[in-house]
Amino acid sequence: MGDRSGLQAASQLFWKQGCTMMFKDVADFCICVSMTRRGLRLGMAKVTQVDFPPKEMVSYSKETQTPTDTQTHTQARPEEEEDEEELAEAKPAEDSQEKKADQEEKQEEAPPKELTEEEKMHLLHSDEFLTFFDRGSRIVERALSERVDVCFDYSGRDLEDKEGEMQAGAKMSLNRTFSDERWSKNRVVTCLDWSPQYPELLVASYNNNEDVPHEPDGVALVWNMKYKKTTPEYTFHCQHPVYCVNVVGTQNAHNLISISTDGKMCSWSLDMLSQPQDCLELVFKQSKAVAVTSMAFPLGDVNNFVVGSEDGSVYTACRHGSKAGISDVFEGHHGPVTGLSCHSAGGPVDFSHLFISASFDWTVKLWTTKSTRPLYSFEDSCDYVYDVMWSPTHPALFACVDGSGRLDLWNLNNDTEVPSASVVVDGSTALNRVRWSHSGREIATGDSDGQVLVYDVGEPICVPKPDEWSRLVHTLMEINENRDEGDELAAQRLVA
Amino acid sequence: MAEVEETLKRIQSQKGVQGIIIVNAEGIPIKTTLDNSSTVQYAGLIHQSVMKARSTVRDIDPQNDLTFLRIRSKKNEIMIAPDKDYFLIVIQNPSD
Repeated sequence: MGDRSGLQAASQLFWKQGCTMMFKDVADFCICVSMTRRGLRLGMAKVTQVDFPPKEMVSYSKETQTPTDTQTHTQARPEEEEDEEELAEAKPAEDSQEKKADQEEKQEEAPPKELTEEEKMHLLHSDEFLTFFDRGSRIVERALSERVDVCFDYSGRDLEDKEGEMQAGAKMSLNRTFSDERWSKNRVVTCLDWSPQYPELLVASYNNNEDVPHEPDGVALVWNMKYKKTTPEYTFHCQHPVYCVNVVGTQNAHNLISISTDGKMCSWSLDMLSQPQDCLELVFKQSKAVAVTSMAFPLGDVNNFVVGSEDGSVYTACRHGSKAGISDVFEGHHGPVTGLSCHSAGGPVDFSHLFISASFDWTVKLWTTKSTRPLYSFEDSCDYVYDVMWSPTHPALFACVDGSGRLDLWNLNNDTEVPSASVVVDGSTALNRVRWSHSGREIATGDSDGQVLVYDVGEPICVPKPDEWSRLVHTLMEINENRDEGDELAAQRLVA
Repeated sequence: MAEVEETLKRIQSQKGVQGIIIVNAEGIPIKTTLDNSSTVQYAGLIHQSVMKARSTVRDIDPQNDLTFLRIRSKKNEIMIAPDKDYFLIVIQNPSD
């Protein structure tokens, strides 16, 4: 007998008027019993058994595969010449013909292969289904959002500009806005970070949503820049609001450092998050606990760090060694320090002693660890400055955000009086966080309404030229001179 | 379970999506947004295509496996995310 490939051995047996029952036999022979209106017909049909149950090995022959499921096939078979080879395409057509031919056959189309509602519900609640659905829906959503038409015909059609393309020479243009109706609306963005491993991934943490008290207080969402879908890749939530975390160290020896307003700094091992590895009380002059609001580690340093506090002072400190704890105090701000950033753009000259701080006093101040007085104060803002960050690639460039929704880019080598680029975010929200991507070409900022906005920065602004480092040396010298002059003048005025 | 419903609703509301069908490994539809006859037709036909595609991939390299299948036609596009136990089928009309 010819090859009857593609038949699924029925593990369920059905007796129905006009249906065919198949017994699975060890010897690969199937006894077909077909009961039609014409009466009982018995026939031997040798069947090449091909199984597609989930956990078994898929076996197949090199011959043409014919479709698997419905039992109409088996019904059709005894009625035809058994040597006939049927191609897959022909089968469905034949099927429908068979269907039309025999009334009873129609019945079996759906029911024998259908599951009861109960069985379906059971499946839909199973773990495997949920795992499958989580992954499958994510992939499908990404695919759906891509609107690339590879068959597009350009002749006779106008070319439309794609969204997101930057006009040449534009300083900063909005690339993406990330916001989720359920998880990010009405929450403040408390922290942002770009993934070092996958540059298109960005994680944002949010505090609690006051309007919805029964939803979890702390939410972290992972957003993907690569695909156009507007929903987060992953969602995490926890009971307490998330404020800030920092991972220091190398890939093999790293710690999670957390710091809070009670002056305690804890370092945690990522393997054991139930207890900190060690704690450090940050006290200034043996008595005053420092209420820490922000923290920064210089590039490559895991021991020394700077913290900003509620009282407007910045402190340097170290984690280990005989002088563990607070070392120096830098006074200058008149309000709580909201953000700190240590210089990180590597280059021919080392500027890692520089750091900048943002504060409620409307200013951003430039400091060096070598002096406890600020080097310079940037006073262009008219609202609380909430965050500041050096560019990871350009030595003289930094970004700051304030409560009026303004994102400013300052280039020390261009102008220290006014920002080199500025953009105001639509809507009356305050910008709470700013984070450069690792490439230094994009900036992510989070606002008080749960939105994360990603801006592309124009090349002329964010890409450093080779002489930026030496120019910065000159700029710093000038700043230093001005500061000393200013001090002298102030001293003279006091005397006079 | 409510999350599954929510996700399905969200996918369904995307531009141009005509229908979503979830079938199990035997080709039996267990969840659908289309009418019964279309569902059964799509489920049966697509199941065969996916099995053929999967066996093609495995034939060429037994260590390999099918991860995603897209059938682009003049009028619409069928996207299938297969898994060990289930397939997620989405039919989209991209010009909508």
